[in-house]
Amino acid sequence: MPPSLKLNAVAFVSPQNHPILIRTFNNQDEHAIKYHYIAHTSLDVIEERGEFSIRRIICVQLIFSVAAAGKAFECYLGLLFTMEDVAVYGYITPLKVKIILALALSDAVVKDAEIITIFKALHMAYYSSVSNPFLKLETVGDSSSDQATILAVGSPKWKLFRRRVDDINWAVGNLNSLT
Amino acid sequence: MAAPADFLQKPIITYTAPPTFIASPNWHKVLATISAQLPLRNIHWKPVSQTTLRTIQELDVNLVPFESLRDELTSQVPVTLLEKPLLHIFVFHCEDSDVEAYRNLHKRFIKDWQMSVSNRKNQDWLILHIIRPDPSKMPTGKLFAIKNSVLDKLRTDFNLDKREHCVQLNWNIGNDNPQVWAEFVNKLKEGLLYAFDLAISQRQEEVKRSENQQSMPGWNFCTFFILKESLASSFEGMNLLEEALVPYDELEALFQRVSREKNMSWFGNLIQPEHNDDSQPLLSVNKKKYREMILANSISVFDFRIYLLSRQCQLLAKMGLIHEATTKVGFFLGTLGKRLRDVEASLPPLFIEAWAYSSALSTVEQCNAWVKEYKIDTSKPSTNAGKAELLDIARSQLDIIGIEASHLPPIPPFTSSTSWTSRLSSVAKLSFSNETLNVAVGNRQAFNELYVALTNRAIDLYAKSGRRKFALKLHGTLAAFECNRGNLSAALNTFISLPAHYSPYLWNSLEGFMLSRAVHTHEQLDKPQDTEWVHIVLAFLKSYVDHRGEEMLMYDVDATEYVARLVDSLRSSVEQLEAAQTPLDLPHPDHPALTVSVADSANLAETRDGSYLEATITNHLPVTFPTEEINVSLSGRESEKVKFNASISDGLPPGHSHFTLYCKTSAPGTFLLESSEIRSSHLVLSTNYRKAFSKPSSRSTTLIRIPSDPLALDVRISQSSRIVLGSPQSLMAVLSTGRNQVRKAIVRLSSPSATFRCREACLEEGMFPTNIGVSFEATKDGVTLEDIPDGSEISFMAPHSDASALTAMKVNIEVDYVTVQEPDVSRTARFSRVLITTLPLSVNVEDFFRGTRLISKFTVSTTSHQHIRISDARLDLPNDGVEGVTVERSSSKRRIITVTPHQPANFLFALNSTKGPVRESLNLSIKYRMLREEVESVIQKEVGKLLEDYPDNLKQKIVLISKLVDALESDAGWVDMYGITGELLVPDLHVEDGDLAMAWTMARKRLAEHRHPESPEGSWREIQIPVDVPFMNIVAAARLRVVSTPFASASSSGELPSLYAGQPISADLLIHTTFHWGLSPSEHQKQYLLRFNIEEMVREWLVSGPKRGDFIATDNAMHIVPITLIALHHGEFLLPKITVSALPISGTLTMGSLAVPSIETYQVHGAEKVLILPRGGRSTFVISMGPG
Repeated sequence: MPPSLKLNAVAFVSPQNHPILIRTFNNQDEHAIKYHYIAHTSLDVIEERGEFSIRRIICVQLIFSVAAAGKAFECYLGLLFTMEDVAVYGYITPLKVKIILALALSDAVVKDAEIITIFKALHMAYYSSVSNPFLKLETVGDSSSDQATILAVGSPKWKLFRRRVDDINWAVGNLNSLT
Repeated sequence: MAAPADFLQKPIITYTAPPTFIASPNWHKVLATISAQLPLRNIHWKPVSQTTLRTIQELDVNLVPFESLRDELTSQVPVTLLEKPLLHIFVFHCEDSDVEAYRNLHKRFIKDWQMSVSNRKNQDWLILHIIRPDPSKMPTGKLFAIKNSVLDKLRTDFNLDKREHCVQLNWNIGNDNPQVWAEFVNKLKEGLLYAFDLAISQRQEEVKRSENQQSMPGWNFCTFFILKESLASSFEGMNLLEEALVPYDELEALFQRVSREKNMSWFGNLIQPEHNDDSQPLLSVNKKKYREMILANSISVFDFRIYLLSRQCQLLAKMGLIHEATTKVGFFLGTLGKRLRDVEASLPPLFIEAWAYSSALSTVEQCNAWVKEYKIDTSKPSTNAGKAELLDIARSQLDIIGIEASHLPPIPPFTSSTSWTSRLSSVAKLSFSNETLNVAVGNRQAFNELYVALTNRAIDLYAKSGRRKFALKLHGTLAAFECNRGNLSAALNTFISLPAHYSPYLWNSLEGFMLSRAVHTHEQLDKPQDTEWVHIVLAFLKSYVDHRGEEMLMYDVDATEYVARLVDSLRSSVEQLEAAQTPLDLPHPDHPALTVSVADSANLAETRDGSYLEATITNHLPVTFPTEEINVSLSGRESEKVKFNASISDGLPPGHSHFTLYCKTSAPGTFLLESSEIRSSHLVLSTNYRKAFSKPSSRSTTLIRIPSDPLALDVRISQSSRIVLGSPQSLMAVLSTGRNQVRKAIVRLSSPSATFRCREACLEEGMFPTNIGVSFEATKDGVTLEDIPDGSEISFMAPHSDASALTAMKVNIEVDYVTVQEPDVSRTARFSRVLITTLPLSVNVEDFFRGTRLISKFTVSTTSHQHIRISDARLDLPNDGVEGVTVERSSSKRRIITVTPHQPANFLFALNSTKGPVRESLNLSIKYRMLREEVESVIQKEVGKLLEDYPDNLKQKIVLISKLVDALESDAGWVDMYGITGELLVPDLHVEDGDLAMAWTMARKRLAEHRHPESPEGSWREIQIPVDVPFMNIVAAARLRVVSTPFASASSSGELPSLYAGQPISADLLIHTTFHWGLSPSEHQKQYLLRFNIEEMVREWLVSGPKRGDFIATDNAMHIVPITLIALHHGEFLLPKITVSALPISGTLTMGSLAVPSIETYQVHGAEKVLILPRGGRSTFVISMGPG
């Protein structure tokens, strides 16, 4: 049985909606544009969901303390939309970095828990890559904004982030075939 | 669309009444009133298994007569629980007090009814007792009556299980009063829920039991499905939609598990295609007899899943969650489509696409219908977005169909819908049950219209829902479609406008893609490659570079080749534009394809004026970029610009390439990299580095140091070496040619605070021998000099407007020059210099009149901290002299004097005038120079002598001189010694260079041996100050002449007798007056009234006689007053002073006050002392001998 989960592409988008990294796992390069489109259009949907989640945060804040609100904030946005032959899932980190996952559509049940695990791994990969203090080397002078640093993570110059993402893809593909 | 009846089964309530009551006309009234209480609202239901309270907002109930119930055979097929009534009501009318009537008439009926009702499973019952109390028959004995009420009887008779089944209703109060009915309605709800609870938990039990038996043989999924579905439909009937959705979701999950285990024996084939399967409305639950098919275990998986989906969507729609439904459908179309691919061969061609297309469209229709039916609020953007997504899916099916029908080329974006390549090798006849599709396949025009209409519909909905990015994407697809059908200009417009939407968020990939499409379309359009084309290509290259070429999204071309072609066409179109004589350059700021970085310091050219700057140009394109010229411009502190440039013949190769840029002129200092320009024919790619300040992630500013070139052409300015106070000011400019043999130089001077009169400029006199052949021409614009040999300095004066108000004046100097060595290169050097306009020295004068002589004392002091060397000071008469006036210097010895801030210098001159006052002003001219200038000239001379043997070593000379000057500047210890002897003790500095070190040592030695020359040499500055000779009405000479003492014998020898203290001494006071220096010649005839006064010297002298007196003075007259003096003690001391003052001239008024003539008095005896001897006689000295 083929793996039930097949990642087609992963996209990281900065809080300012700038693409950080769009990684496609298909060999056919001509389809890369499709995943760029998917990442881009997903932002619309995330924004749509975002309105609700913000409202939810406010409610939570009214009830609990602010600290608790952070925990209560749900990162996983679920299925964003289905387009052509992929299902697109979204995840937004507490610092508003959006992670978008394009999953090859298959007629198998996709468990949210599995997707969340992948997202968490991706989030972690991003987090550990962006913690690289050397990223700031190139962006000396404007320490006020981390935007440039965030974007630098995805630049081809820093390979580790890509490798981490690729590793996750590999792991997803293999784990599924094993189980 | 009507759902099948069983899904809309409402809960049933039966009613019955005694036959007499039914027959009575009142019955209808009662029944109508009861019906009016329906539907029930706000029912709170607490599921047995859960703790949360569910609220049923509204529940419609079927009210049927009890008699209509038929005891049908219980079907084996589990259906909704609501098929059976949940509640039975018995209505009867009887006065409350009329226990007899109850007992006789009603009790039996009720008993019978209750028997039949309570046998039924999971059904509740209720007795409604209607009373119409007659106010006139109100019972009197209340206590007694209560016990015997009919209600009590009812309760005792029928409330068997502690639940209240009896309700009394007072009909009289008014049947429309809700309070009257409240109890009944509550009972109604209670009863319904009670029965429903019982039924549902029983059914749930059944389901659970069945579920647990899954692994047992004989368990059938389909049966289980029907069983479980009955739960859902029951909940749905009770309007518990969320609850109803749960069993379906669970069933779906179970189905997935079952299908994963490949245990599909309960189903038919995956799909049993019927001819119109691909065009059936997807969400219609009754388009096929699904339930029967399920029960028969003959349903195909395809049908089964559609059924499941449509039920779920229906429930979602009822809950108002259209968006959930559409997402579900979208996902479903994708997943089931994927599954269908497995059996694609058995399906008609493109069945899946046609099915997805029709399904998506029908879902949209269904959604619209639901919105109307359930009055769903469509203001939520997601509703429209969901529909748009479905339309998008339908559109992507059209992509595939279009490609297969050869309406569309198999290229992206049309092929992006699927990842497979064309499957239909032979052109099979495409036929669908959907007529629209059939027409579209056959007719390209119809297909185009369909495609465009569908896309526009989706765009519209996306726009409505605020999904701008989706809409953009579809615009892009539409443009591609337009492009394909030949509507190129429309496509081009879209492609050109779209990148702007992507670029602000740095979505370079999409921007680049759009641009590449734009380029492509532009090419196809065969439009002239104009400025617009250049811009598109540049934008494309920009995004290509931003991608670093790696992730560039292009297809069917080799990227490098493609870019090369673009660059070529860019070049040719730029050249075309140039040929078309477009006057303007095409500037394009901040293009990332080519970046320039420069070294942080420039190198001197050494052999010629100017400097070289190393620059690294990085071409990020994979191909050579044709370039002619690179310009880098730097800006200095005074915002002066320095331009470096280099010409390139063969373009910029990919990657780094190094170039040496040359700047023709030499401008030492630190500069800021301001901008760079890369020029390709008409196209100018420029980068401004200054603006980059504001940008985040900007590189820090680049500072570039340009070393100073000692041999470059230079201009220095200083104050004129000949300053004549009172005449126009001018400055001296010194043009030093350095290494250049200048053919022609034009010097232009300008200043923000003064204007120059260049036309009046002249060479400094005597400075330059004319025989060298330099031609000097002063014009209005500047000074033109021709044929100046190298290593020479030319000084000239340039008069300028008055700048005495300023202490310093900024002067900008521009020199255009051409050298003999490089006749083709015309250079323009700019210098910014500051001229100190204050004089370095100040002069004060003091005058003393002595008869016909006037002695003037000039005090020269420095105005700054600098030492001034003065070689000569002269007081000159006007050129042709003045009759009878001679000037004498104090001494004829010429010696250089140093004026320091602490020590001014004095110069004395005596003016002898035989003819009265001098009216012409004299000239004081001082020859001076700053100590620094002198020392520099000494160094220059000595070093010149030292290096005489090496005539070419101009540079070393300049370096050595500047080193020596630096060394002297660092320490002032040599100054005193130099002032006295002239030796220059240069502090030792560390000099690295071997050659230079030797020269340095020798120069120091030579300078230490230097002595002041006997007579001043070198060039001196001269300042001429006009001096006016003062006037004086009266010059008085007072004198005390001791004549004799009364005790001394008159002596003829004229020798003074001995003078003793206490002795009276006769003396004459002589006052000689002269009007020689008076204002006018008529002065001589005048008379003035003067007053003399002998100053008291009370310790030395007693004065007796006319100590004070007035007298009339005439020119050259002597006034004699005899007085007697007595010396008070012995010793040698001065005679008393005499003051002479003029009294106001009577009758003459000046400025409203009495005019007092000016007078100067001097003491002729001022330096005389007289010796007073002690008087003769004894002196007694008492000496203490101590206590002896």
